[in-house]
Amino acid sequence: MRLPPGFKRLLKLAVRPRAVEQDVDDELRFHLELRAEKLQREGLSPAEARETAQREFGDVERVRAECVRLGHERAAEMKRSLFLDALAQDLRYALRTLRKAPAFALVAILTLALGIGSTTALFSVVRGVLLKPLPFPAPERVMRLWQASPALSSPRVSLSQNDLDDWKARQQSFSDIGAWWHVENMSGVDLSGLGDPEELSATYVTDGFFSTLGMAPQLGRAMLSEEHQAGHDAVVVVSHEAWTRRFGADPSLVGRTLTLDGEPHTVVGVMPPSFTFPSEKMDVWLPLSRINERSIPRTRFNRFLNAVGRLKPGVTVEAARLELGGIARQLAEAYPESNAQYGAITVLPLHEAITGDVRTALLVVLGAVGFLLLIACANVANLQLARATLRDRELAVRAALGAGPGRLVRQLLTESLVLAGLGGGLGVALAVWGTEALVGLSLKQLPRLREVQVDGEVLAFAAAATVLTGLLFGLLPALRASTTQLEAVLKAGGRGTVGGRGARLRGLLVVAEVAIAVVLATGAGLATRSLASMLSEDPGFRAEGAAVVSFSVPPPKRERLREYLAEVLEQVRALPGVESAAMVKTLPLENVGEDLGFSRPDHPEDEANPPHMSMMHVSTDYFRTLGIPLLGGRVHEPTDTQDTPLVLVVNQTFARRFFPGEDVVGKSIKLGTTELTIVGMVGDVRQAGLAEPVPPLAYLHLQQSPRGAMNLVVRGQGALLPLAASARQAIWSVDPSQTISRITTLEQVTAEAVTRPRLLAMMLGLFAVLGLALAAVGIYGVLAYTVSQRQRELGVRLALGAQPADVLRLVLKSGMALAGAGVAMGAVGALGLSRVMGSILYGVAPHDPLTFGAVTALLLAVALLACLIPARRAMRVDPAVTLRGE
Amino acid sequence: MADTSLELVQGTLDVLILKSLSWGALHGYAVAEAIGERSGQVLKVEEGALYPALHRLEKRGLLEAEWGLSENNRRAKFYKLTSAGRAHLRAEAQTWTRYAAAVSRILEAA
Repeated sequence: MRLPPGFKRLLKLAVRPRAVEQDVDDELRFHLELRAEKLQREGLSPAEARETAQREFGDVERVRAECVRLGHERAAEMKRSLFLDALAQDLRYALRTLRKAPAFALVAILTLALGIGSTTALFSVVRGVLLKPLPFPAPERVMRLWQASPALSSPRVSLSQNDLDDWKARQQSFSDIGAWWHVENMSGVDLSGLGDPEELSATYVTDGFFSTLGMAPQLGRAMLSEEHQAGHDAVVVVSHEAWTRRFGADPSLVGRTLTLDGEPHTVVGVMPPSFTFPSEKMDVWLPLSRINERSIPRTRFNRFLNAVGRLKPGVTVEAARLELGGIARQLAEAYPESNAQYGAITVLPLHEAITGDVRTALLVVLGAVGFLLLIACANVANLQLARATLRDRELAVRAALGAGPGRLVRQLLTESLVLAGLGGGLGVALAVWGTEALVGLSLKQLPRLREVQVDGEVLAFAAAATVLTGLLFGLLPALRASTTQLEAVLKAGGRGTVGGRGARLRGLLVVAEVAIAVVLATGAGLATRSLASMLSEDPGFRAEGAAVVSFSVPPPKRERLREYLAEVLEQVRALPGVESAAMVKTLPLENVGEDLGFSRPDHPEDEANPPHMSMMHVSTDYFRTLGIPLLGGRVHEPTDTQDTPLVLVVNQTFARRFFPGEDVVGKSIKLGTTELTIVGMVGDVRQAGLAEPVPPLAYLHLQQSPRGAMNLVVRGQGALLPLAASARQAIWSVDPSQTISRITTLEQVTAEAVTRPRLLAMMLGLFAVLGLALAAVGIYGVLAYTVSQRQRELGVRLALGAQPADVLRLVLKSGMALAGAGVAMGAVGALGLSRVMGSILYGVAPHDPLTFGAVTALLLAVALLACLIPARRAMRVDPAVTLRGE
Repeated sequence: MADTSLELVQGTLDVLILKSLSWGALHGYAVAEAIGERSGQVLKVEEGALYPALHRLEKRGLLEAEWGLSENNRRAKFYKLTSAGRAHLRAEAQTWTRYAAAVSRILEAA
């Protein structure tokens, strides 16, 4: 390849500083010679004269070095100022040129702003969620630990406290292991005796929790080991957020006593603002021993703890996995009834564990937006090329006036960089706004969203994207300009381009644009189809027309929980406009119930391998209120009370899995030694999420097994939020100090269950539409330009007897050939993308023929539309006018 | 000769160079000669300090230099004042005159 002229000039510059030394030597020699000659004239011999001149001068070497240094500095300064002068000149010229073509400049700048802005916004999200390390010391050594059950094919099962203690006692790989229990919206504590009662979001932690994460409080201290012992006075660690919000950042909070759930807790520490683990919204951390005493029995069956461990330096993840796996197998042998199926463990870096399930989706969207930026580049390059062809004459004149090819390349590159800079500036504004919008849209749906912000790093990314973009779309036109035969242009009188190189380049760019648009549209199509098939799943209940009020009864008040819950229900049902009301511990789509192993009296094999189900706690009227159909037997009745035998209503999956081919109604199961009779069967409800399989569920009557944390579901006439507000009033009429944790509607709960796939489909869709529009503009631009160039040829053809239809066909053919090539290339790329997306799709094959077919048709249709306008103009070329112009 | 000549006071060299060049372009040797002559051989320029001073002034943009032919037809580097150099000379000369007057007033009063 021929070296671009600019490089040669650079090489020459690099050689020149040698001249500084030469000049200084010449200058000093001249001086010494004159001095010596003078001394000679005064009567000294030539040798004496030279010597005296040297001596009087002093240290020639030192002077020389000093002058050379000054000379070099001056040369460098001059080079810099020359460069800046030329740059300023280029910039002024570029701005003037752009001002002369405002339409072009506007389209280009907007296109680039869109590309750079959306890429930057997405990058800020990806960086915050995926790239930034967790805010702990040496975060790469913090591991998330689970039990794994190959038999149940569940790799991530929580730990029982006994297992955790055994692990901690036997392992060598971790410097510390800690665990916590926290359920979003459910594990709260009531703060009272200090203004309005408030429910605080709480996490119960074991000894080692803070030290494993490597975090120390900013005020006070973390919990001591003895404070985790049962029976110790209660202590609490407060989050920075709660400290500032609720306690006015009062430094004397440490040491004070707070009343939590009616019991005094001493504040021992306040965490720094960066520490919000395990949830973005954290108020207090309490010792796990506090909750153990009250409600969680300490058995190996009770797997509820989330564990983290800090790897010792030098220990690999694999070694830790092997060691803990060994311990898990020992435990499985020692306690077969509870641990037989948990002889394996899963170790994952905490960062991966947190971000794992959004990683693919985020990267797909980032890829999509990168493609969009590429299309934007191709389009602006196309515009530039078209303009450059029109500007051939101007460039030729400038070259004739003495501007070297390097100078012209630089001028054109400056122009594209100015465009990119303006687009990038606007893009950053767009990114700041877009990042906020993204964060707002995906609140709660993305982990670590607090880390997302437009900061120096993101701005550096935007700057890099801008420069790269400018070079990307500027280079092609600039190189083309530097190699155009200028004399030929001048001779042609500026009537147009010489040769087909520009046209070929622009054709290639359009093919690439169409190909990328196909990839984008395929991604969006797949995401939309996936969302649609998710939404078309029958959730098993009727979401519309029901309000939800969530609350949690604090333990001190749980002594008369049955009566309390019954009273609340009674009050709510008496409200005007209420059709039915019921309570459930865990709402559909939000989570499954409590995981329990059970046995069937007529199935002795259960002893060794007890089947598992999910236990739900519901009030009477639950199935009617949610619109869940009763398929056999009966539902819970008010006559089922704590004094009557325990009864269960099970779902279809339960019946099908555990009593296949039998009538499940009338059967009984055993939980430990307690026997429960199945009295009814109801339809399946998507408890774990719309895209998740339905687990076997058994519903127990609240009056027979009351629970403190509740969702009150109210179905009634009229607007839902007023209904919910009056339901809340009804709750308060029973107990004015009851805290309410949320008010929402069942439809909202359903909508939130698909927020993530909806977000993905929406973003990919948006980028695909933009990409499609840009590709259409690209095709249109190329054809419109070609037609205007070929006007004369078309006129001649028409004059020689060609029909307008022939001309139409000619133009359409050349346009659709480009589009066709692009679609074919894009389809291949889309196949690659769909494989990446496979893991986040639901109910649609990655190579879904419908999506691929639709995208192909859509792209070809858009291309056809883009071709039609220039083609019609070509048809209307008047041969007489054209020929007269000759 | 040595007992009648004075070493230049620090900072004086620059202003003398500028002054010497205010009548026209000179090469370094000629600058040294000019200062000597115009001071009646009282001030003696240390040649070793002259050239760094010239280069420093050139770097500061007070002088500019180009290569030309000397009176005896040899290649020499000629310095001349820039307009910035001329302005600088005016300001420095004023300061110097006031300074010298003040010093001599004190000395004469004694």
